[in-house]
Amino acid sequence: MNKKGFVGVIVLALVGLMLAVGPALGADPVKIGVVGPRTGDAAATGKAFEEGIQLATAWVNAKGGVLGRPLEVVFEDTAGAPDKAASGFERLVTRDKVAMVLGESHSSSALAEIEVANRLKIPFVVVEAWADPITAKNYRYVFRAGPSNSGVVNETIAKWVQASGFKKAYIVAENSDWGLGIAQLTEAALKKAAIPYEQLVTERKSQDHYTELTKIKQFGPDVVLAYVYGTGLHYFVAQAGEVGLTPKAVILDGAGPPSLWPDYWTNVGDYGNLECFVSSMHEKVELTPLAKEFRENYVKAFGKAPTDYKSRSIYDAVLIAADAINRAGSLGAENLVTALEKTDLLTTRGKAKFGMEKGGPEYHQWMPPMLVIQWQDKAQTVLYPPEAATGQLKR
Amino acid sequence: MVKAIDNRWWLAAAVAGFAALPWGLGIYHQHVLIVSLFYVMMTASWNLLAGYTGQVSFGHAAFAGIGAYASGILATKVGLNPWLGVGAGTLAAAVFGFLLGVLCLKMGGIYLSLTTLGFSEILHIIINNEYEITRGTMGLQVPGLIAEYSKLAYFYIFLAGAIITLAVVHRLIHANIGLNFRAVQNDERAAAALGVDVVRVRVLAFTVSSALAGMAGALYGHYLLLITPQIPSLDQQFLVLSMTVIGGLGSFAGPVIGAFGLEILSEYIRAYGEYHVLAFGLVALIVARFAPRGLVGVWKQFMDRRRPAA
Repeated sequence: MNKKGFVGVIVLALVGLMLAVGPALGADPVKIGVVGPRTGDAAATGKAFEEGIQLATAWVNAKGGVLGRPLEVVFEDTAGAPDKAASGFERLVTRDKVAMVLGESHSSSALAEIEVANRLKIPFVVVEAWADPITAKNYRYVFRAGPSNSGVVNETIAKWVQASGFKKAYIVAENSDWGLGIAQLTEAALKKAAIPYEQLVTERKSQDHYTELTKIKQFGPDVVLAYVYGTGLHYFVAQAGEVGLTPKAVILDGAGPPSLWPDYWTNVGDYGNLECFVSSMHEKVELTPLAKEFRENYVKAFGKAPTDYKSRSIYDAVLIAADAINRAGSLGAENLVTALEKTDLLTTRGKAKFGMEKGGPEYHQWMPPMLVIQWQDKAQTVLYPPEAATGQLKR
Repeated sequence: MVKAIDNRWWLAAAVAGFAALPWGLGIYHQHVLIVSLFYVMMTASWNLLAGYTGQVSFGHAAFAGIGAYASGILATKVGLNPWLGVGAGTLAAAVFGFLLGVLCLKMGGIYLSLTTLGFSEILHIIINNEYEITRGTMGLQVPGLIAEYSKLAYFYIFLAGAIITLAVVHRLIHANIGLNFRAVQNDERAAAALGVDVVRVRVLAFTVSSALAGMAGALYGHYLLLITPQIPSLDQQFLVLSMTVIGGLGSFAGPVIGAFGLEILSEYIRAYGEYHVLAFGLVALIVARFAPRGLVGVWKQFMDRRRPAA
């Protein structure tokens, strides 16, 4: 190679780097990062996150911000891919200089991100990634203000299956950390409850479930526990209706949001009726005054009622972060971790308080209550827990 | 002779200057440099095949994937030292490259492109479905190459990798075999008539190019500490293609300029998600049509015009 070529490379690299330095300078507001899928199969979650962030930052800044400065949230798209999630997380910390990071709704992405959080020693509050190992690794900088697989299965799904008197169950799990993890826990819970079951693993992005559904139909379950996230669930529900598996069997969407996305009814048609799903939000079940305030502010800001509960999950996480920063009195990671460990804050989903017992997934975990809801003529009916129920299971 | 020595001094000074660059930079900028060096390895090795022998392969990212997964699986399932894993990954990519080369390089032209495209897709499907071994889209977490994670150390590892790749390419294109590469690219029938073993030349270029991609992929996987099907994806392949074409296909400096230029640019337009690959692809098409020698060609043309006529 001649000298001009090499000199050209160096000049190009230097110019590029000088340009890249620009955005990181002159940060007046306190910045926190959010990771989540803005593109890809679960882009609707990114939209829900954006809505929650907008409301939460407005709420925090209206009350004086954090440390007397405005709060600013920088959103990094992960597209639901672990490699993009890990590099996006690192970019938030190294380029945008955020004090802490919140968010995520894919367990595989979160599992890649917690390694970066641990390496860079930056507090990370996971919001909607449920795999147990996220907190079971007991990393000092990793917290979860949201459901865990074991919490959802043991406290909600298994109990609902038993309470509803289902005789035979089928577990369908996507090949992701969340899907495989929650299926394993469900299997253990069904075994303990002596409920006969079978299970299969499906490709996460599959659009064709006919062969699998034929197999499921042959087993004759009265409940299908579907751990499939994204629009994949819509295909599953629609095709289950086509092959006649439903309404004889009830499908439970074990994640929740896909059943609440705006295109749900367009994609599944009438086959979506009587489908059940888990959620932490229902208009008639407001656990705290803040939940009511969130709903009112949401309607005011977006001109519609909130549906995807993940908008409220990220809202709570931003409030938890702001509260921790104010109590820490600085943006130092160690102070923030100590402050997060002492969190005792009333959020929309109840009082947030992180577990401190090491050795399992309860460490740095706060599990908000979850509901089982059924679509009944396009209206949501809460089935479980009994104290929150607004109606009975229809089949 | 004097000019050769002069060039070597320039080269040594440029490398030394570049090696000193990350000192004083933040870790984000060090990361951008490291990823750029990965793309230098990828583009320079793809250029050896496409730019010097005229064989357009769409399986280059797949060979990087073979290197990454071979090294990652050996490190996580067998406990092999990651450095040995990088060697094994490079070897695995070379073996697959050789076998695929023997199988399809007699075909050449569009058939080679189609076969490598098919190979890339098959590999992608295998990685996604054999999740018990590869962890599919969940990503395979792998150990790093060094005990204490340091961007600076990875920068020098990748710099060494890029220098090795560029040295191999430089050595090959300036040796007799390089003339054979050019001969096959220009007119394979004429080359065969002059006694050049066309298939042998192609297989050699394909194997070396695959091995270098395998090394790049293995190093990249151990740098990210996570291997996903994104490494052997077509997105990655088209990014490498765009970088090479925009920089200057068939020139030595072109892929280096393309790799740095587009990687830095992609950091700015990342907010548009996957559309940046589409944008690069469109620019590459325009460059291929109106400036087939890329930025290097445009620069040379500009310099030639400025030179006074003899």
